[in-house]
Amino acid sequence: MSTANPPKEQGLVEYRVDRLLEEANTDTRIVVLAKQDDALDTFPIWVGAAEGNAIKLALDAMLTPRPMSHDLIKSFAEHLNVTIQRVVIADVKSSTYYATVYVANKGVERTIDARPSDAISLALRAHCPIYITQDVLTRRSTTNLDAWLSKLESKNIGTPEVQEI
Amino acid sequence: MITQMHIKQLMFDPYNNAYIVVLRDEEHSDVIPIWIGKSEAGSISMAMENVTPPRPMTHDFMKSFLDAYNAKVISVVITDLSEHTYFAKIHLMYEDSEYTVDARPSDAIALALRSNAPVFANDTVITKQSSEELEQWLENLKPEDFGKLDS
Repeated sequence: MSTANPPKEQGLVEYRVDRLLEEANTDTRIVVLAKQDDALDTFPIWVGAAEGNAIKLALDAMLTPRPMSHDLIKSFAEHLNVTIQRVVIADVKSSTYYATVYVANKGVERTIDARPSDAISLALRAHCPIYITQDVLTRRSTTNLDAWLSKLESKNIGTPEVQEI
Repeated sequence: MITQMHIKQLMFDPYNNAYIVVLRDEEHSDVIPIWIGKSEAGSISMAMENVTPPRPMTHDFMKSFLDAYNAKVISVVITDLSEHTYFAKIHLMYEDSEYTVDARPSDAIALALRSNAPVFANDTVITKQSSEELEQWLENLKPEDFGKLDS
């Protein structure tokens, strides 16, 4: 996947969806992205329960009897002969991540603004790479992830520091 | 034959802990209740109330995707009812060709509302549905049974 669609932009780091964590008693899920060539470098994104479930279905390669919303988007892409090239977590503002979906048809590339959850859900179904910009990686919360994970495992989770609306 | 339906109501079904989107025809003689999930209901509710969320919801993103290619949603049709599941088709116009895409009614309706596209139902679906029973069921629901949508 790393070499399939080399991005033209500089400073993009490829990540993959490593796992999905459930927060007990809340309506949120955590998508844990891991750096493609360094599984220890992880990047968590808080998403809603429905968005998390959509990602989980794709992560587990579950076939649903009826097309889910992102299957429908993929189906539109197929009908329109549009290729989902890649998705990029491109910005973070007020603790909200912003994603961009790169699509192409007839050699013309277009970009569509999206929430990371939609972008990731679609990327998993379209088998396209997921990137995070160096800028976002630099500006991410400096929380020590190990400490954060041990906190999570003790099921004593505080308010998410970075949340997607 | 198909009949144009209007998205009239969105209700909470306390017995099944699910939401119901109610479609009615012009004369209000035919009604189709479609049980949908919470997030789908939230998306339909936002479109019905013309609420623009700070970030694009899944169906807003879906609409942006189609807009990027100037693909238009011409109409949505609830085509079939099989084993308590409704089936829908989205009719798209793209570069002078029409495409028909299989979808769940909730996605089709959420997208139709954002595209100002009409929603139709196959008459076979309408007749399969015993509307009298539903009317009664709806009438018997007490006000306190209706939840508030937290989308």
